[in-house]
Amino acid sequence: MDVLRLAWLYLWIAPHLLLILVAVLMVRNGRQRDFPIFFSYLLYEFLQFVVIFSIWCLEAPHPMWLRTDEVLRGGSVVFRFAMIQEMIAAPFSHSIPMGKIMTRMLNWGTGFLVVISLVSVEYLYRQLPNYGLLKNYVVIEACNITQCGLIVGVFLWHRFLGVRMSPTVFGIALGMGLIVGSEPYMLAFVTGTRLISRDSLQMAVFNVAVLVWLYFVQVREPSDSDFNGAQLLRVRDWAEGVGRITRP
Amino acid sequence: MNLQIILAIVAILFFLFLIVMSWQWLSTRGEAAPAGELIPVDLEAFQNLTDPEEEQFLRTSLSPPEFRSVQRIRIRAAKLYVVALSDNAGSMMRLGNSASLQADQAIVALGRDIAKRALSLKMWCAVLQLRLTAALVFPTILSPTGGIADQYLAVTYMAAKLHAEAAA
Repeated sequence: MDVLRLAWLYLWIAPHLLLILVAVLMVRNGRQRDFPIFFSYLLYEFLQFVVIFSIWCLEAPHPMWLRTDEVLRGGSVVFRFAMIQEMIAAPFSHSIPMGKIMTRMLNWGTGFLVVISLVSVEYLYRQLPNYGLLKNYVVIEACNITQCGLIVGVFLWHRFLGVRMSPTVFGIALGMGLIVGSEPYMLAFVTGTRLISRDSLQMAVFNVAVLVWLYFVQVREPSDSDFNGAQLLRVRDWAEGVGRITRP
Repeated sequence: MNLQIILAIVAILFFLFLIVMSWQWLSTRGEAAPAGELIPVDLEAFQNLTDPEEEQFLRTSLSPPEFRSVQRIRIRAAKLYVVALSDNAGSMMRLGNSASLQADQAIVALGRDIAKRALSLKMWCAVLQLRLTAALVFPTILSPTGGIADQYLAVTYMAAKLHAEAAA
C-alpha cells in the first residue's frame, strides 16, 4: 500500500473516530443537553462513515456507492441547517424559545440564499464533462454554499445582540464554517476530472474541523457573572432615573 | 466575470471573515463578561424629537429648506437616542438571561420575560434605526417614530421589579 493511499485512508478514518471522542467529551461535560442537534450530528456523521466505509470494503458497485453517498450527505446538510438554528437560538436557550417570527425570518433568508446558490452551482456543474453523473450533488453543494452565508449570519447575530459567543457555539460555528466554506473554493478550482483530489481536500478540511470541535467542547464555559447584586442595584437606580424623567 | 472566479472570491472572503472573527474572539477570551453599563436616556426629549405634532408645527412654521435642515438635525439626535436604547436593551437582555439561570422560580420567570421583551425591543430599535436612516434621506416624506419608548419603559420597570424579587 503506497504512502498516498495510506494518507487518504488516514484522512478518511481518523476524523470520524475523533468524532466519537468529541461526543464523549460532550457527554462528560453535560453539553449534549445544551446542543442536542450538534450532538446528534456527531453521531450521524460517525454512522454515515460506518455505512460508507462498509460499502467501500465490500466493493459495492459504483452507482450504489454514489446513491448512498448522496442520501447520506443530504442528511448531513439537513443536520447543519438545524445546527445553525441551534446556534442562533443559543444566546437565549435558557430563557426564550426561538419565536415564530425569528424562525420565519431565518427560513426566508435561507430560502433566498438557497435559490441564488442553486442557480450558480447548476450553471457551474453544467460545464463539467460528467454532469450527468454529478447532477444530483447540485442541491447539496448549493445548500453548503447557503450555509456559508448563514454562518456569517450567526456571527453577526451574536454581535448585534452584544452577546459573547460561548466557546462551544464558537467552536461549532468555526468548524462548520471550515467545512461548508471550502465548498465554493473547490467548486471554483477542482473540476470533475479531479474528484479524488477534491475528496482528499474535503477530508483534510473535515479533519481540521473535527480538531476544532475537539478543542472547543473541552474549553470551560465561562460562568455567567451578570446576575449579581451590583448589577441589580444599577438597574434599580436606572429604573428610578427613568421614572423621574417620565414622571416629573 | 467568470462564475468560478466569483465563487473563489466568495470562498476567500468567507475564510477572511472567519479569521477576523476568530482573532476577535480569541483576543477577548478570558476577559470578564461585559458589565452592561446602562446609558442614561432622556425619554421625554426622545419623545419630543419624534412627536408628530411637533413635526407638524415645524413644517408649518418653517420654509421647506429650513424644515429639511432642522428635521435632519432632529433625526440625527433621535438616532443617537435609539442607539442608546438598543445598547440598554442589550444589557437588559443579558440580565434577563442570567436571571433565568437562577434557582428561584419567580426570578427565573421574570428573567425570561425581561429577556423576551428586551430582545423584542432590540429588534424594534434595529428597524427604527433603518427607518431613521431613510428619514434622513427623505426628511419631508418619512417621519421619525418614537413608539419604542413605551416598550423601553416596560422593560425598565420589569428590571426594577427583578431587583425587588432578588432582594426579597
